Amino acid sequence: MERRLYFLCGDVVSNAGVGALVGLAVASCVGETWPVVLAMVLGMLIGEVVALPAAVALSVPFGAMEVMLPVMLTGMTSGMLLGMLAAMRAMSSGSAAALGATTGLVVLATTYGLNAYVRARPHPGATS
Amino acid sequence: MDHVTERKWDNAVRGYDLMNGYGPEWRWAPWKRQLFSAMEGKVLFVAVGTGQDIQFFPPGCEITAIDISDRMLARARPKAEQYDGRLELRHRDVHDLDYPDATFDQVFTSCTFCSVPDPVNGLRALRRVLEPGGTIGMFEHTGSRFFPFGMMLDLMTPLTRRLGPELNRDTPANVRQAGFVDVRVEPVYLDVVKVIHAVNPD
Repeated sequence: MERRLYFLCGDVVSNAGVGALVGLAVASCVGETWPVVLAMVLGMLIGEVVALPAAVALSVPFGAMEVMLPVMLTGMTSGMLLGMLAAMRAMSSGSAAALGATTGLVVLATTYGLNAYVRARPHPGATS
Repeated sequence: MDHVTERKWDNAVRGYDLMNGYGPEWRWAPWKRQLFSAMEGKVLFVAVGTGQDIQFFPPGCEITAIDISDRMLARARPKAEQYDGRLELRHRDVHDLDYPDATFDQVFTSCTFCSVPDPVNGLRALRRVLEPGGTIGMFEHTGSRFFPFGMMLDLMTPLTRRLGPELNRDTPANVRQAGFVDVRVEPVYLDVVKVIHAVNPD
């Protein structure tokens, strides 16, 4: 797990921030009467459109793959989740942003967990 | 000399230090410093770029650092002049090395074989100039076996290939295919960023 405070803060800000932005964008586009599946697909696309330039910009101060992969995943998952929820009930901007940010933090925690798992185990084909 | 690749990296020089010189270098610094601390004897460093990795080289080494882009090398020159040791910069294509067989004791790379157009033949060329029993140490990023990261890297590769690296290569497999043995892989971040050690067989 990353232990340097600068990068820890950068990871948290990147994923929570992108998650919140995606939440706001999706909630402003998706209406309550939309079919849920369509709202999820559109939410995922909006999430990736928001996350890709954000990931490129955030990689400059905080690192390349360590920022790009979780931020792209945050865009995808928060977009799908917020799309689904926005199609089921009306959402305020505040709750959409908060839910998107929370999703980003969950994605980050999951990625940290996966990274710890990968680094603790022998890599496939580690020796030959 | 592969002039298409040369032009690509000549063009990439403008934004290269901005995109790679801060966050990525700081984040990867501990692993790069540890990898390069093993430098000894005659060392070939492949794709030195703008010289960002020179800060991690241990002092007192005899290093030949090559790159396909003259513009990158021009940016690397001031850093090379400050290196406390013998560091020569050379304009070379890894596919077309003109050094005699077994010239070097060690080879090091850093985010290189995501970009070399023919990685297996590039690695074979390195085997030729590396003495039998010599080692290669690589800091590289590759594709991933984990969903959805592998899929994301596959989807982004057609775009990133135009600007610079491919994101979904299996570099450890390429190292084996090129004939290196005792291939060891240490994950740095997920199974994407990694350090690879291998030996040129006797």
